[in-house]
Amino acid sequence: MNNLVILPILIPFLMGVILIFTNKRLSVSRTISVLTALAMLASASYLTYVVYTDGIMALELGNWEAPFGIVLVGDLLSSSLVAVSSLLAVSTLFFIFQTFDEEREKAYFYPFFFFLMTGVNGSFLTGDLFNLFVFFEVMLLSSFILISMGGKKSQLSESLKYVIINTVSSLVFIIGIAYLYAVTGTLNMADLSVKVAELGQEGVLNVIALVFLFIFGVKSALFPLYYWLPKSYVEPPTAIAALFGGLLTKVGVYTILRTYTLIFNQSSEIYFILIVLGGLTMFIGVLGAVSQFDFKRILSVHIVSQVGYMIMGIGINSTIAIAGVFYFLIHNIIVKSALFFFAGATEKVTGTSHLKKMSGLLKTHPYLGWTFFIAAISLAGIPPLSGFVGKFILIVAGFMEGNYFVIAVSLATGLLTLFSMMKIFMTSFWGEVKLPKPEAENVKVGSLIAPIVPLLIFTIVLGVAAEPFYQFSLELAEQIINPEHYVNSVLKE
Amino acid sequence: MSLLHLVVLAPFLLAILIPFLYKKFRHIHTGWFVLGLPLVLFIYFLTFLPEISGGGAVQETVPWIPSLGIDFTVFVDGLGLLFALLITGIGTLVVLYSIYYIANKKDEPLNNFYVYLLMFMGAMLGVVLSDNLMVVYVFWETTSLASMLLIGYWFHKERSRYGAQKSMLITVFGGFSMLAGFTLLYVMTETFSIREIIAQTDVIASHELFLPAMLLILLGAFTKSAQFPFHIWLPDAMEAPTPVSAYLHSATMVKAGIYLVARMTPVFGGEPQWFWLLSGFGIFTLLWGSVSAVRQKDLKAILAFSTISQLGMIMTLLGLGSAAVHFDLANGETLYTTAILAAVFHLINHATFKGSLFMVVGIVDHETGTRDIRNLGGLMTLMPITATAALIGTFSMAGLPPFNGFLSKEMFFTGVLNATTLDLFNMQTWGLIFPVIAWIASIFTFAYCMIMFFKTFTGKHQPEKLKKQAHEAPMGMLIGPVILASLVVVFGLFPNVLSYSIIEPVMRSILPSLVSDGGEFYVNIYHWHGPNTELMMTIGVVIFGSLVYLNLKRWQEAAFFLKERDPLNWLYDNSLVWLIDGATWVNDLQLTGRLRDYMAYMFVFFAGFMAWGLFYFDAIAIDLENTAPISTYIFVLVAVLILATISIPFINHRITAIIVVGVIGFLLALLFVVFRAPDLALTQLLVETVMVVMFLLVFYHLPELKKESFKPTMKISNLAISIAVGVFASLTALSAHAFSYENPVDAISNYFIENAYTLAGGNNMVNVILVDFRGLDTLLEVLVLAIAALGIVVLVKYTAKGRENL
Amino acid sequence: MEIIMIIAVGVIFSVATYMLLTKSLLRVILGVMLLSHGAHLLFLTMSGLKQGAPPLLGEEAASYSDPLPQALILTAIVISFGVTAFLLVLAYRTYKVHQTDDLEKLRGTADE
Repeated sequence: MNNLVILPILIPFLMGVILIFTNKRLSVSRTISVLTALAMLASASYLTYVVYTDGIMALELGNWEAPFGIVLVGDLLSSSLVAVSSLLAVSTLFFIFQTFDEEREKAYFYPFFFFLMTGVNGSFLTGDLFNLFVFFEVMLLSSFILISMGGKKSQLSESLKYVIINTVSSLVFIIGIAYLYAVTGTLNMADLSVKVAELGQEGVLNVIALVFLFIFGVKSALFPLYYWLPKSYVEPPTAIAALFGGLLTKVGVYTILRTYTLIFNQSSEIYFILIVLGGLTMFIGVLGAVSQFDFKRILSVHIVSQVGYMIMGIGINSTIAIAGVFYFLIHNIIVKSALFFFAGATEKVTGTSHLKKMSGLLKTHPYLGWTFFIAAISLAGIPPLSGFVGKFILIVAGFMEGNYFVIAVSLATGLLTLFSMMKIFMTSFWGEVKLPKPEAENVKVGSLIAPIVPLLIFTIVLGVAAEPFYQFSLELAEQIINPEHYVNSVLKE
Repeated sequence: MSLLHLVVLAPFLLAILIPFLYKKFRHIHTGWFVLGLPLVLFIYFLTFLPEISGGGAVQETVPWIPSLGIDFTVFVDGLGLLFALLITGIGTLVVLYSIYYIANKKDEPLNNFYVYLLMFMGAMLGVVLSDNLMVVYVFWETTSLASMLLIGYWFHKERSRYGAQKSMLITVFGGFSMLAGFTLLYVMTETFSIREIIAQTDVIASHELFLPAMLLILLGAFTKSAQFPFHIWLPDAMEAPTPVSAYLHSATMVKAGIYLVARMTPVFGGEPQWFWLLSGFGIFTLLWGSVSAVRQKDLKAILAFSTISQLGMIMTLLGLGSAAVHFDLANGETLYTTAILAAVFHLINHATFKGSLFMVVGIVDHETGTRDIRNLGGLMTLMPITATAALIGTFSMAGLPPFNGFLSKEMFFTGVLNATTLDLFNMQTWGLIFPVIAWIASIFTFAYCMIMFFKTFTGKHQPEKLKKQAHEAPMGMLIGPVILASLVVVFGLFPNVLSYSIIEPVMRSILPSLVSDGGEFYVNIYHWHGPNTELMMTIGVVIFGSLVYLNLKRWQEAAFFLKERDPLNWLYDNSLVWLIDGATWVNDLQLTGRLRDYMAYMFVFFAGFMAWGLFYFDAIAIDLENTAPISTYIFVLVAVLILATISIPFINHRITAIIVVGVIGFLLALLFVVFRAPDLALTQLLVETVMVVMFLLVFYHLPELKKESFKPTMKISNLAISIAVGVFASLTALSAHAFSYENPVDAISNYFIENAYTLAGGNNMVNVILVDFRGLDTLLEVLVLAIAALGIVVLVKYTAKGRENL
Repeated sequence: MEIIMIIAVGVIFSVATYMLLTKSLLRVILGVMLLSHGAHLLFLTMSGLKQGAPPLLGEEAASYSDPLPQALILTAIVISFGVTAFLLVLAYRTYKVHQTDDLEKLRGTADE
């Protein structure tokens, strides 16, 4: 039964390998891809269900007992994140079929896609710090290739920076592991939790915690470590930007959430730093969005800004806050990707992502306009959509713990988010019909919107029928905030 | 889910159907499908009157997010019912009016219009009928959204977009602060239910969050109800079609703030801050609005500023009246409740006369093609019915008998005069300001009312300045203003029709202590109070107001009259510019596109983080004892390593640089040998060799290394950053090393040493770990290599053609 | 011994950082390589340089040096190799397209 945990890793891994060999046969590749993504989704959903009913599930690979071998751990957090990522993968695939040309698909696109998913799912599920590093590398290397393939001029130079910064942070990861191993003599995260608690999180352990905050801060694009993100995400095809925007930084957020609840959970100073960084990240991120007039650029910097909310929630560190972080995380994965898809659909119509070069789209493409509007106000946290519920939970948690200032910052950020999203809506969708090319009026985008609709439904449901999801988040937060659940399931004590 | 819930949600449900109805029955004006709903709802709400007048209240609850204290509780009491009646009643008239106002042209997006309108109607009903603050908030933001969409209904117009953005930014700003305020209340009371919060008022009044919560909620109310200085969105909201202005921006939505203040009076009413903020901002808004209205040339702009001013007046009254909460009403101190009474009564009156006036202006605009008073005049004979409605409306607004405006204006004067006698909240010193400002503002109010009526309907008709041949509007358009105008007269003549049925229950909602104290309370509105101060004030208003109006010609050239736009707009417009400029500046400072800058920021942060941690947590420790002995040859090895490393930045020859880095790799391999890691050494040797070869192959084609041409300051900062990174990374390492000897733990590695052979059957422990204990790592490591290889192939072979980039 | 090694690693880190802050693409990549050397060396150092026997059971020694870090470093070396190789080719490709290895000139399009 426990083998279920490895399925979301194994499926994309194996199928990715198979897809290398079917590369030249496009229809086969596509079919396999969809089936693989669906299988991933099914296994992850089932895993979540089983974890929900039976509790945390730990799989000791090769039957080497923890903490000696590598364990994969499915708790509510990791399994549900895997499920949502898989959902996103399915959506992205359908969008890819619509927008990619065959050349790109035949450039071993699908294998890389699934290797990326292997890395993402593995990062969520692994219970071993070094193994996390390895999964990170799988994910990053795949992302390096996906972001640079195509080789446009600006794409190459931005990818280069993306690759170098991320490689450096990976090397720092090794340094961090070296420090931590020297002090605790273990790599298993549950065991680390026990060891750090035994040692008392004092002295150099806090410094190591900060080093890890740097490492994961780069992955999750925290201020002032986010520079790799905004420009590089504009370059690749939007489907890829959507996938990256939805997933990659969230893996970073997940690791921060995991590390600072499970392992380094004793220092109030570090939580305070998280709050400060969260506040700075959300505000500075949104300023980037306010100043831009490029559809994709605005969305990219919003990724940064939204990560700030989650980090703030982790810093607040209460059950409700963690529930809020999770809610926000799920919401953000869904909505951010949906928005990128809209950017893609809009670009398909107009051939540009520069806002000032188009207007009146609402008149020519009302469905595109209104579906975008829903996603946009959801991102801005307008009720009753998912963004509102996520933000609201965080506000309640923040006020309860007395973090008034950062909540004020988050509300101001919300307003600026609305401002920048409405800027897109009012500049490009409102106004006189003025499109860069005359035939743009007749470009049909129905088939592009179709894969986004499930995501939109999800954001509406997460908002309107929030109670069951919030209950789930609370239960999840309960599991996270009390690390002994995790530790006991892994170490079988 | 009760019928009441359905009633609140009904507009939303109908809104979903509208696009289909629009598509299917294109030749029928979509408005006809909508018209029935508000009418039915209005009649439905009327059936509540007997029970509510009798002092009852109706409540139905459906849980929504109970774990967050959010239940969808529909609660109908006097206050809620009054607003519900206004929303549905005026809603019916507005929908009817709109059917004639917006013609069913070929590409007129009527579906959008009615979807927004219904969305607004449902949201507004939700605001006034919900007991749960969060539900109120959800609907509140929905009204902001609907209002924004309606203002931008003709979105091809630049002004519409500007107005829409402005109203959205300001009202959502207020909404967000209100959300914070509500949440603070929740943190204090652990409930979002208004009635439960009221019940806990005594407990929370001394809480440190009480005042912030009040201020934040007031921000919400002030922005929505267009109080100074947030009123600037309302004049620009006039870009919306006139039915919308009549409905949202005079009769209902802008009164949501009033509603909220009235609703929260039992909670905050006893506080001096509440009293001062409401009455202070209110009276100033009253003055500002009325003075600004006089100088407008656009009829709708006059109405907009007039609305602002009247809202200020109601706000003032609610503020002054909140003193009633402070007193023990059972002792017969009903004097101060006059203010609240006036507020409620004027709220109704304002809805009637302002609603009708907006519709009148819409008719004038529709039939003549302009709203500019400089082009209008002499329409009385051409549009007699419209003119009559306008006369009733403007005279009522000016406060002339026998219309309802006269009554409430008199009560307003009574209220402000009473305020001077209050002996609390320092009123002794400041009290006189209120009647004086109120009186001055009323003079201006009188003046703009006269301007509106006489400039439009009397004087010389100037057909050459009109875009259309002016004539009376169609019947359907007249129904709305005529009904409202007749109500103005009816309420003026028989105010007590309202007193017992609705005003009294409303008073009970705002001042619940009226009943709980068992004190007798009934409302009676009189026309004639004898020749008291109020009457003198009114007479003064008429005299001076006429003077202002009559001397208008002389003043029109004054700079004050030439500037129509509110000076505060300057602040708003520039704030947006500053915001964008500031944001661009912050952004450009960071995202320079230079890898060097990115790296520098990151490393500064990295080193700073470690430095701060090391000092703050007092973590620095160096353990000189528990170290392995140093042998000379290792010493030499390390010395060479360090020297080679330091030399690298100075090498300006690419092949040499590559080879020196390679040498460092080989030295590393040697060290691995020395430190008993043969497998590592082998791997390192292999990898390093391949790497150097690759480097040489790739970089053979690259240009020769140039000397770095950094500015000296840059060079020094680079150097400082590098040294800091090295020093603090080493310090952390040293401290970790010392820490590990001070606090020894059982490392898991012993397990591998003990069990490598017995359990895994291998002698080379490293290999056993790689292939067995941590097989997954190795598998993935192979995957990484494979991905890299495949990636290199793709990178070299594949170039995207054309622009399929989506 | 550990102290000296850590100092050496510190020097490597400093130089690597310095290289990463330069404008020449080649220097930056060399910086990445140096950093990885430093990281691997640090890992080995941090796990203790006790002079045990190599972790080969046939050696019949009383104590062995810690095998786990060695295995991890080995994995890390190989992964770094893969990543660096890709980085190299990407850099080469970028150079080819842009005809420059000066990062100052690879700043990308100016902001809108």
